[in-house]
Amino acid sequence: MSQPLTPAELAAFRARQKSRSRALGVVLVALAMLFFAITIVKIKGASDARHHESPAAGLSQQAR
Amino acid sequence: MSPAPVTAPLPSMAAEWRDFFALTKPRVMTLVIFTGLCGLLAAPGHINPVLGFTAILCIAVGAGGAAALNQWWEADLDAGMKRTQHRPVPAGRVQRSSARDFGFGLSGASVMIMGLANGLLPAVILAFSIFYYAWIYTVWLKPRTPQNIVIGGGAGAFPPMIGWIAVTHDVTLMPILLFLIIFVWTPPHFWALALFVQIDYAKVGIPMMPVVAGERSTRHQILGYAVLLLPLTVVPWWLGYTGKVYGLSAVALGLVFVWLSARVGLRRPLAEGDTMKPEKRLFAYSILYLFVLFAMLVVDHAATGLGF
Repeated sequence: MSQPLTPAELAAFRARQKSRSRALGVVLVALAMLFFAITIVKIKGASDARHHESPAAGLSQQAR
Repeated sequence: MSPAPVTAPLPSMAAEWRDFFALTKPRVMTLVIFTGLCGLLAAPGHINPVLGFTAILCIAVGAGGAAALNQWWEADLDAGMKRTQHRPVPAGRVQRSSARDFGFGLSGASVMIMGLANGLLPAVILAFSIFYYAWIYTVWLKPRTPQNIVIGGGAGAFPPMIGWIAVTHDVTLMPILLFLIIFVWTPPHFWALALFVQIDYAKVGIPMMPVVAGERSTRHQILGYAVLLLPLTVVPWWLGYTGKVYGLSAVALGLVFVWLSARVGLRRPLAEGDTMKPEKRLFAYSILYLFVLFAMLVVDHAATGLGF
């Protein structure tokens, strides 16, 4: 059977867990921002391509 | 086939994020990121900066995933070598199954995000490069043949190719040449290292060239690959893919590479207590060589764009 952790070991264990959770949180936030940026670029790219395909559609939108 | 049983002690503490970061071999990743970025910047055409950043991130994360899978598989070998025994798994800081899950997670995520952001072709090549390193090199070739490094060198040769294709979405001759340059550069680079750490490889039964074919043959092969590398790096200039900034740099850098390789390749049998200075110098120079060569590719592209 394993020995129970001493208070110092428990504190070190919690500190490591905390640092890992923080790092994971940073990665998740960064991923969310990256997906947001990729989505904006893709939507803009698709809309630009549509305007290039039919300039008339673009002009009528501008007139509105 | 399953990995050999764990001999490293189980971790008594939760792993830190730094331990997981170490699993990605960050030092190797530097070269991967740099060559991938150079491939992307030197490619003809335009890529949105967000998508370009995503491509480089995916190349880096994919390489990190492959490195974690390599360390999961080779934990026992790593434990037996001085150079690698302090890695997170053999040192007992990360459980072997955690390294495996981490490696598969990073690999899968990088391929998926590459596919979403940059299309199917770079994602497929990225997936193949991970498979190449984690399975073809690590599991299949490394323990079986002294040519492991020659064929395995392909794994490190993919990043500039992927970077280039992320922009062009087409496999042309130039990204294949970039692949070949790193492919031919790898054996002299790695064997220079293997010459001064060969005792370690022999101890764990990895058939590295100096262990199997002997030092003399390895030295000759180092020189042979260096001589082959010089004209190969000039081919992009000769075919008109690059200008003279890259071409002349490739010639100058290559001549130094051949000179340092000749000092290693033509060395007489070593005296006892030799410090292996020429081998260490060649190893250090080979890293600098690749950095500068690829940097020159980008400088040349920029110079051509500015009309020089």
